[in-house]
Amino acid sequence: MVKDGGQLYTIEGVAAGLIMLMTAYLVVGATSVYTPGDAHINDMQLEILGSDALKMLDTPQNYTDSKSPLQQIVETDDGSRFWLMFNNTVNNRTGSIPDHIHFTANYSYRMTADNSINSSFINASRNLTGGEHAVRVTKWVIVNKKLPGSATFQDRAVLVEVLLWRD
Amino acid sequence: MGFLVSFSFFFLALVINQSTLVGQSTAEGVIEFPKNDIRDISQVIKEHANNNGRIGDPIQGDIVNISLIRKGAVVNYTLDLAGIPANPLDHPRANDKNNYSLIHYNNGVTEYNENWTSQ
Repeated sequence: MVKDGGQLYTIEGVAAGLIMLMTAYLVVGATSVYTPGDAHINDMQLEILGSDALKMLDTPQNYTDSKSPLQQIVETDDGSRFWLMFNNTVNNRTGSIPDHIHFTANYSYRMTADNSINSSFINASRNLTGGEHAVRVTKWVIVNKKLPGSATFQDRAVLVEVLLWRD
Repeated sequence: MGFLVSFSFFFLALVINQSTLVGQSTAEGVIEFPKNDIRDISQVIKEHANNNGRIGDPIQGDIVNISLIRKGAVVNYTLDLAGIPANPLDHPRANDKNNYSLIHYNNGVTEYNENWTSQ
């Protein structure tokens, strides 16, 4: 005795229709492949890669070396050797075509006079323009060096910092 | 009845849809935890101890200050080397055959404390 002929024109019908549309929208929207949280996966991979590369550089290359390449690089400010080793480590891929990860490296040391921190440039694959989405990796190194140039010659701890990004 | 069931479907779809936006993704969690920082600082402090390091060395000041300013982490440590007093004014512990290091690290989110004794 109750006909459904006018249902579409009732509030219940309109509300039911709206709920169906909203649900359908949410269901379709929930299937997106790239979620906002996924933006960090690339950053994490780059950070681990850079960290491993710095660890490799800070390992003595053979039994007779008492200092690692990174220690020697910081002690002698050998920027080109750093570029060579780090670039070959980080951009090395299986196959013939190397990767294109860019980096800029410096090391931070403490000024003994007032405990402030200074940075000294090591090398960079190209200059920063400011638009790069870079991650930072760091490595502690103990070096025998005069820091700054006017201080005494002694063992000091410096932090090597490298910014990495993909072009 | 179907009307009420449709409300529950709607709510479920809403929760599943919004779940991708809230919380911390796995990759963020991996980046935030300072695994490499902690292993690095622990290694450099032991390297300091290995080079006949003492508290008050320039290296200790370097590590504490650079950690605070460049890494945003509070780090401090003590070293007691076998037979060598930590404080030069103390008497050496002649019977002490062990090395100790006590390391504190706190970057505001993660806290790490290490107490190491040689055997």
